[in-house]
Amino acid sequence: MEIGDFQAPSPMQESENAVSESSKNSSEGSAEPFGSSGRPTVIARKKPIVVIVIGMAGSGKTTLMHRLVAHVQTARKRGYVLNLDPAVTSLPYTANIDIRDTVNYKNVMKEYHLGPNGGILTSLNLFATKFDEVVNLVERREGELDYVLVDTPGQIEIFTWSASGSIITEAFASTFPTVVCYVVDTPRSLSPVTFMSNMLYACGILYKTRLPLLLAFNKVDVAQHQFALEWMDDFEAFQAAVENDSSYSSGLSRSLCLVLDEFYRNLRNVGVSAVTGVGMVDFFAKLDESGTEYMQTYWVELERRRAEKELRDTERQQANLAALQRDLAESNGQKVVLSTTRQMEERNTEEEEVEEEEEEEEEYSENDLDEEESTEMFREMGGRL
Amino acid sequence: MPRYAQLVIGPAGSGKSTYCQNVYQHCQSIKRTVHVVNLDPAADHFEYPVSVDIRELISLEDVMEELKLGPNGGLIYCMEYLEENLEDWFSEQMEDYIDDDYLIFDCPGQIELYSHIPVLRTFVDQLKRWDFNVCAVYMLDSQFVSDVTKYISGCMASLSAMVQLELPHINVLSKIDLLPSKRDLDKFLDPDARLLLGDLNQQMAPRFARLNQALAELVDDYSMVNFLPLDITDEDSIQFVLSHIDNAIQYGEDAEPKARDHDPDGDDGGGF
Repeated sequence: MEIGDFQAPSPMQESENAVSESSKNSSEGSAEPFGSSGRPTVIARKKPIVVIVIGMAGSGKTTLMHRLVAHVQTARKRGYVLNLDPAVTSLPYTANIDIRDTVNYKNVMKEYHLGPNGGILTSLNLFATKFDEVVNLVERREGELDYVLVDTPGQIEIFTWSASGSIITEAFASTFPTVVCYVVDTPRSLSPVTFMSNMLYACGILYKTRLPLLLAFNKVDVAQHQFALEWMDDFEAFQAAVENDSSYSSGLSRSLCLVLDEFYRNLRNVGVSAVTGVGMVDFFAKLDESGTEYMQTYWVELERRRAEKELRDTERQQANLAALQRDLAESNGQKVVLSTTRQMEERNTEEEEVEEEEEEEEEYSENDLDEEESTEMFREMGGRL
Repeated sequence: MPRYAQLVIGPAGSGKSTYCQNVYQHCQSIKRTVHVVNLDPAADHFEYPVSVDIRELISLEDVMEELKLGPNGGLIYCMEYLEENLEDWFSEQMEDYIDDDYLIFDCPGQIELYSHIPVLRTFVDQLKRWDFNVCAVYMLDSQFVSDVTKYISGCMASLSAMVQLELPHINVLSKIDLLPSKRDLDKFLDPDARLLLGDLNQQMAPRFARLNQALAELVDDYSMVNFLPLDITDEDSIQFVLSHIDNAIQYGEDAEPKARDHDPDGDDGGGF
């Protein structure tokens, strides 16, 4: 996507204020060497857990963020706060990095002649093109941090069904233990079908991000989430409730309930109230567990994918070299015009997609150190803006 | 005689409005009458003629300005306002459409409107009371369905809206024309449960094996989760999708032959 005449986002600005008091006292550790690839192959020191707070508009993400930030400080943990919502008018907490410092959503709307949703999405897209800088900023501080809290745009699909949302998520996930916190509007999910609808969507997010999921039943001060726990625990009860509440055939509702039953086994949940502060200790305990799960499962998986990719790259290079040698032999030293791109594509039909995406990736990746990471994430996410 | 309606839903940017425009033009070219209704108060500019527009009743821009609401609060306000005025304003607009007419509703994208707020469900129930056969058309950008886990994610998002609407449901993968290689999409368009399961087990950690199994079975047992491809530049592709939707709402089954369909001088394509 073209940025054109629009003034490129200003360099990342950071606010020192929100970082917890205790971190100011800890010594500034010198940057530890990571090795030539820029990526630690063994986690030499504990990395902060990144929690991306996602939820339907009105579920209370920002209020919850405020509560999380406050708890981090009272618990004497070290936190770093990011706001990715370009359209929020006032934040109840102070963010270390705020998308609004870099992109002005109203200007974006004017400049590109967009409506409010287009403006938010485009603002996020613009920010995503500079996201490697954000990750670098956090990486530089990682020895001093326990948690990185990320607030996302109001409407969930701006983050979950956009290329920039995927890019941002993957940028974090390939560098830090990352957990998705899905905020549930508990009072609004009281009917079985609405609850099912919400859970199906959360399941979609689990598959899309492939990261540990922490369900936060918010607003428990308004409506306790006991009903949810019962439904999550008792498949038959939930199915009966759904059949009562809808006109679906028992076959379909059973299949859907079965999917959800398995889904629940693969996530953690906690009841919280952003307003009263209930559930915070439990939240962070489950967050820590999710972080551990990430390291045991996802990090291993990520390393495996990286190793596979390296292997494929090496194989491709060797194949290209062999092809070149063949061509030289065939031409017997005469000058031959090689339609290189086409020949390579014919020989590497499987690599077609990878090549195209790598070309696209080169447009965005400015930092050589991050090239491998960018390629990985663009390839994984089919990155297009 | 029933009236017919498509409710075009899906995430922002998935191609809903483009679809409505192209279906309208396509129907013009085959001499079929359809009317497009804009239900998106945040919509900007239309290339096609819109028969009914919610922005004549209320617009997001006005609401945000006058009530000092953000984009989300404003949208919910608009939709709830529509809900309150269904009987009056909307039914007046609907009266113009005689029996056998076919409406295409271009809806706002936000999933919040389908999952938590009852407005769209109420709207659908009202349409049914007015004797409309309604089908939900869930549009998803095919460029996002680049591998099996994203395909599942798309199915879940669609189901999430579908369970609330309780309508016959067609899923469409749009922007096929923008894909570099259409081959990879085939396995999602006609999913084989075993292959799907194999892929899922490869992509997800081992603890997801049972969930993958349940999902593969769901996809296999219920065709309503399946996607149709749409290449908006290809008339045949548009007709293909349209035929499926028509089938879902039984359009054309009750139709009586119309005088104008006969061309006594031309080739009828059959003896009469």
